[in-house]
Amino acid sequence: MEEMTLGAGVQLRCFRDDRFKQGCLSIQFVRPMNKEEAAKNALLPAVLLRGTEKSPDIGSITARLDDLYGASVGPLVRRAGDWQTSGLFCGFIDDKYALDGDEVFAPMVEFLREILFCPRLEKGIFPESVVESEKKNLIATIESRMNDKRTLAFDKLIVNMCKADSFGIPRLGHKEDVAAITAQSLYAHYENLLKTARVELFYVGSQEPGVVGQKLKALFADTPRQVAALPEQTPFGEDPGGSHQEKMEVSQGKLAMGFVTPITLRHPKFAAMQLLNGIFGGGMTGKLFAKIREEMSLCYDIGSSYYSSKGILVVSAGIDFGARDVVEKQVEMQLEAICNGEISASELESARQMLLSSLESVHDTPGNIEGYYAVQGLTGMLFSREEYKQAILRCTASDISEVAKTLQKHTVFFLKGVQE
Amino acid sequence: MIEKAYPRLGERVFWETLPNGLAVCVVPRPGFSKKLCYFTTDYGAIHTQFSLDGENVIAPAGIAHYLEHKMFDMPGGEISGCFAQLGADVNAFTSYDMTAYYFTCTERFDEALGLLLDFVSTPYFTEESVQKEQGIIGQEIEMNADSPDTAVFENLMGCMYQNHPISVPILGTRDSIAKITPEILHKCHRAFYAPNNMFLCVVGDVDPEAVCAIAREHLPAEKTEKAPRVDTWAEDTKIEKHLVEANMEVAMPIFQLGFKCPDPGKGERAVRTEFVADLASEALFGESSDLYQRLYEEGIIDSSFGGGFETVSGMGMLTVSGDSDYPEKVKEALLAEAEKLCREGISEERLLRMKRSAMGRRIRALDSFNSLIFRITAYYFTEFDYFEFPAIYEKITPRELTDFLRTAVREENCALSVIYPVKDE
Repeated sequence: MEEMTLGAGVQLRCFRDDRFKQGCLSIQFVRPMNKEEAAKNALLPAVLLRGTEKSPDIGSITARLDDLYGASVGPLVRRAGDWQTSGLFCGFIDDKYALDGDEVFAPMVEFLREILFCPRLEKGIFPESVVESEKKNLIATIESRMNDKRTLAFDKLIVNMCKADSFGIPRLGHKEDVAAITAQSLYAHYENLLKTARVELFYVGSQEPGVVGQKLKALFADTPRQVAALPEQTPFGEDPGGSHQEKMEVSQGKLAMGFVTPITLRHPKFAAMQLLNGIFGGGMTGKLFAKIREEMSLCYDIGSSYYSSKGILVVSAGIDFGARDVVEKQVEMQLEAICNGEISASELESARQMLLSSLESVHDTPGNIEGYYAVQGLTGMLFSREEYKQAILRCTASDISEVAKTLQKHTVFFLKGVQE
Repeated sequence: MIEKAYPRLGERVFWETLPNGLAVCVVPRPGFSKKLCYFTTDYGAIHTQFSLDGENVIAPAGIAHYLEHKMFDMPGGEISGCFAQLGADVNAFTSYDMTAYYFTCTERFDEALGLLLDFVSTPYFTEESVQKEQGIIGQEIEMNADSPDTAVFENLMGCMYQNHPISVPILGTRDSIAKITPEILHKCHRAFYAPNNMFLCVVGDVDPEAVCAIAREHLPAEKTEKAPRVDTWAEDTKIEKHLVEANMEVAMPIFQLGFKCPDPGKGERAVRTEFVADLASEALFGESSDLYQRLYEEGIIDSSFGGGFETVSGMGMLTVSGDSDYPEKVKEALLAEAEKLCREGISEERLLRMKRSAMGRRIRALDSFNSLIFRITAYYFTEFDYFEFPAIYEKITPRELTDFLRTAVREENCALSVIYPVKDE
């Protein structure tokens, strides 16, 4: 991978690889995750994708992409620890698969430049009708997260868990903050991003990095920039915990349990914590699955996820309404077992192999490569990929028991039926 | 093995049919760490009626999926731990017309492949374990009951199909799965899990000959005849019930429209019908269409809107779905626009652009191991070599697109399913 600075606060990383039939290019404007601007960062890419000076509507934008052999440009809005990114992700066929020597990469970069720097404007700002329609869509997207009840339970857990921590701010912002955006305020925000936000570009594909750098350097050549500093990435802060429940017309209860640890991906014991997550609730070989599903038949799905930039571990399960207490208690008992060193050699090896295997597979698709390096880079991952692999290989059962002891149960959320 | 080259796609693919009838396909991916393997039976939720040793069997709804769960039990215990020991991740899914068992790994591929072939060909069911699975699948059914996307689809199928079993949920119901016993699971396994009814596909940096050798070593050598089964159902394209509505905990109404089409059958002609239907849908309501733009700008649809042609063995339909406060308006607009397109025709230039885009997207998707192996497998059971797709696009004419719209997008073939939010009391 090659890294280059293309201008003030504009960083390009190129991963040259000619094994793929497609390439990808992402651009991310990096901002602090805060309530004031989260909704604007989420809305901006959608508005930019509604039209450029040359291709002023969805139909003409899609026609351009169709001509580029079905290339795609989509909004890219990520949470990266205490930061949020707002940008675009382009996927396109490799030039060698185009017909008759057609080029795709060069016109793709030109189209990206148009979308970013020459949006369709009215009276010098984004058209009000476009901003209003994308606000409506974004609010619908935010609201429709509730359609999936497991997502809903997770969201409710996090909101209750992180009242002060930036992790409590939804990735796409709050709907009332979306509603308050105007064409004027969004345009001002856009201009501010172009001039002051740190910019991360990432390319994966067969093009020579020098060529990519040269083409992309032109993007910001005409924009005077003064880059604003970002806050430091922090582990989970001091928020009070508790137990919460809500009722809805559902057939199955959803349990979400949040644990916290000071160990993040910036911590030397990070690999042990990832292994712990595998042993505890990582798929079909985890303790939670083996005990609560296979042995007790109490659920269909149960598992844990570790949010490594923050040090939050969430267990979620779909269960009978009446099974809440027994499942909650079992989850705690399985964690306690790990703390007490009850980790079998096969549990440790399974978790280790799974983790190594997923780390190996990072290099198998352009999207995975982009996703892994773009996010790890921003959130301050302590280890390189190779160092991380070595750390996983070195971990012992006692290392894992040690990190398990740092996990504190913090907040529980349960979604139950109306009739219960 | 037979090596076939597809220069336009930059692919080399190895094919072989073993003496026991098992078809094997290997797509080499030199330089990639990940290896993905599918071992799939041409048997899914819709195949509940078959005959075995002269006996006619009618199995309870949900049996194919139940069997998939129970295959993971081996005399020594649950099998996924053995895969995990090898660093492999094993899983399975059951669709309407196939059941696939698969694993991914980066190392020790040969051992994992042997393990996969062994457990899928070893039925081991006890009364106790079959009984216990009712609790787990019961929870899976409850989980699905809370999924609006599942409900909107299942309600729609209930409206559209009187005879084809796509109107029955893949998981079955709590009542139907209560009837499942070890004996009936054994019968289904014997009828449908013989090598002659299965397909083995691998994508990754592996030796194709070694894949065949392992398959020979781990599977029975003799070829058994396929069990006769019911796999066509009398359906005409008319629909009696055109609207189904329900209420669930959703943020805004979600809808799915279905246009019932004739069964496209199998082979190249079926695939051509599918590609024609997809291009016609693109012309009718894709992001580059006038209709999409108009409805999007009017706020009737949002970016969740989309659709295409879907087939399950014995049926085909065009579906369109999304979130909307005005599902009826979407339906009316589609019918009117289809009529207009048929009247005015679709230009050669527009079709060329759509073909270029569709081909480009399919070529890009070849990078995804998951999407590629799924397509190779599904098309194999449709009796089509997926890598031949560029040739199909070349032959399609604008006229075929309008002919499709004229026969498919009609009020009498159409049903609408809507899930509205729960009303506040």
